[in-house]
Amino acid sequence: MSQPAAQQQLSAQWLRPCLALLMTMAIMLPAAAQYKAARTAFGDPDLQGLWSNASLTTLERQNYVTSLVVSAEQAIAIERSNNAWFETDRRPTDPGVGAPAAGGDVRGYNSFWLDRGSKLARVRGEIRTSWVIAPATGRIPYSAQARLQLRERARPSSEGPETRSLGDRCIVGYGSTSGPPMLNVLYNNNYQIVQAPGIVAIVVEMNHDARLIRIGGVHPPAHVQLWMGDSIGHWDGDTLVVETTNLHPGQSFTADVRHFLYLPPTAKVIERFTRVAPDQLLYEFSVADEAAYTQTWRGEMVMSAAKGPMYEYACHEGNHSLPNILRGARYEEGKRESATR
Amino acid sequence: MAETGTKTGGFLQKSAARKYLCAIVLWLMAACAWAQATDQPAKNDGRLAPPVRPARPDLNGVWQVMNSANFDLEAHAARAAMAMRTGPHGPLPAKEVLALGAVGAVPGGLGVVEGGAIPYKPEALARKRENQQRWLERDPEIRCYLPGVPRATYMPLPFQIVQSAQSMLFVYEYAGAVRNILFTDPGRAPVDSWMGQSVGRWDGDSLVVSVTAQNDSTWFDRAGNFHSDQLHVLERYTPTSSHTMRYEATITDPQIFTRSWKITMNLYRRVGTDAQLQQFKCIEFVEELMYGHLRKEPLK
Repeated sequence: MSQPAAQQQLSAQWLRPCLALLMTMAIMLPAAAQYKAARTAFGDPDLQGLWSNASLTTLERQNYVTSLVVSAEQAIAIERSNNAWFETDRRPTDPGVGAPAAGGDVRGYNSFWLDRGSKLARVRGEIRTSWVIAPATGRIPYSAQARLQLRERARPSSEGPETRSLGDRCIVGYGSTSGPPMLNVLYNNNYQIVQAPGIVAIVVEMNHDARLIRIGGVHPPAHVQLWMGDSIGHWDGDTLVVETTNLHPGQSFTADVRHFLYLPPTAKVIERFTRVAPDQLLYEFSVADEAAYTQTWRGEMVMSAAKGPMYEYACHEGNHSLPNILRGARYEEGKRESATR
Repeated sequence: MAETGTKTGGFLQKSAARKYLCAIVLWLMAACAWAQATDQPAKNDGRLAPPVRPARPDLNGVWQVMNSANFDLEAHAARAAMAMRTGPHGPLPAKEVLALGAVGAVPGGLGVVEGGAIPYKPEALARKRENQQRWLERDPEIRCYLPGVPRATYMPLPFQIVQSAQSMLFVYEYAGAVRNILFTDPGRAPVDSWMGQSVGRWDGDSLVVSVTAQNDSTWFDRAGNFHSDQLHVLERYTPTSSHTMRYEATITDPQIFTRSWKITMNLYRRVGTDAQLQQFKCIEFVEELMYGHLRKEPLK
């Protein structure tokens, strides 16, 4: 075959598939712009890394705002007012002030201890004021019965260790940081995800709690109630879908400074984890319970890549607060008793 | 074929144009293949070669010892209880544990310390014996404190290794303790902790983990064997079959011991329905012990 003839035949052989490929690619261009999560060595979508959900966005919509989405200008104003408070509170403590008066307010952490984020979350390109997206009110649709439970549980008691909060007891982190759903609190909002075939582990910084999500399987009998519940996952395309039941009754009421959550042991939580960018996870959750809520409610959150390493959060080992809270309550009771005598 | 040739010949008159088009198409094809390779680096579907990574042993799974090391690292005969008192004809279980009967008894063990005895300095040995006498007050396990390393390995509860190409996590059933194995040494830990800082590397088929920055509050076992905050533990996990590993830990603590010493034992992989870690968050189990006296109405 002469050179020009060979060239012509090569062109003829390649041109049709080449053109077909070009046309296919033209159709696929918009899709190619979408991020596709990398795969682990064993073929699952790779969600691994250290993630943070620290944010000014809260579980429910706060009173200062009326919509789920705010404009960039509104967001700047909200963030500025939050951060101004933060800056004031982080000023060094005046060493000349002295101890507070006996029986007075000794105050809590100043902002040196806090790590709650400085921005409202950007979810699906929108600046969001709450994680709750359904119902449209941005509020959890509690039933009347659940509201009663919330009111009762919101009154702290120092009768014994069990009547104090989970955070005081160091059993799990406060405010549903470990979830499900995994919510942002005032500090230690970090999560580490490690995957192996058949398992996804999420280490929750506070209190070094590992959620072990097995891929497939069945939940234990309903009377086996576990802290953080029993979680079973499956893959839906690039998304890890996790169903959690068998929740512990002790975890049914959790609170942070910025939110309360009532989640009875009969509730079912579905979480969806999708890596939408190398440094971002979309975290969706829906919570259902016929008695506690008037409808299934849903939330959307983003988690951002965080810088490591994550350090140990050992709470129980240094828990001086719980015995001192109980001791203080007994002291107060003793004083009241002697005053009435 | 001739027809196609004619058509394409008519469509593209100049060979230079053909060259350019084919070059663009080939470049795009290469870009597609590259994009696919980077998106799915390891999906070996027959078209793409798997990524080149040094083969590492797969330690994934639920592991557990089958020994009595947590009772006492050194050789010991079975006895009635961990806490004993003097009886008319020899030692008897202490009052606090008497009601447990045979359930509170200690199983015997041949010991896991190479050479038999832990090489304590004399003053440290005295402290160890005192720990043993006051076990109920002092053993951090009784208060559900984090176990530290190496004790976490041979607690009578399993642990799970979650290993991926870039990460490795140890999750212990006891107290929900966790260890993240770092494969890049971040340098000295900024502060001591209960589980310390673990830096791993592979030495052939062995996973070698150097554990530093542990505080002085954990013990090695229920027999009062202890250490200072100068402890360094060098662990070695070596697969010996598809379902067993050899565990070695070399203990160095010049404040407490006259020389480094080593413990060795086997780890067994749980299989089937046994290979699922349960939850043992024991903090709530010890609240009555630790805080019961502070209740509004203490139990009688």
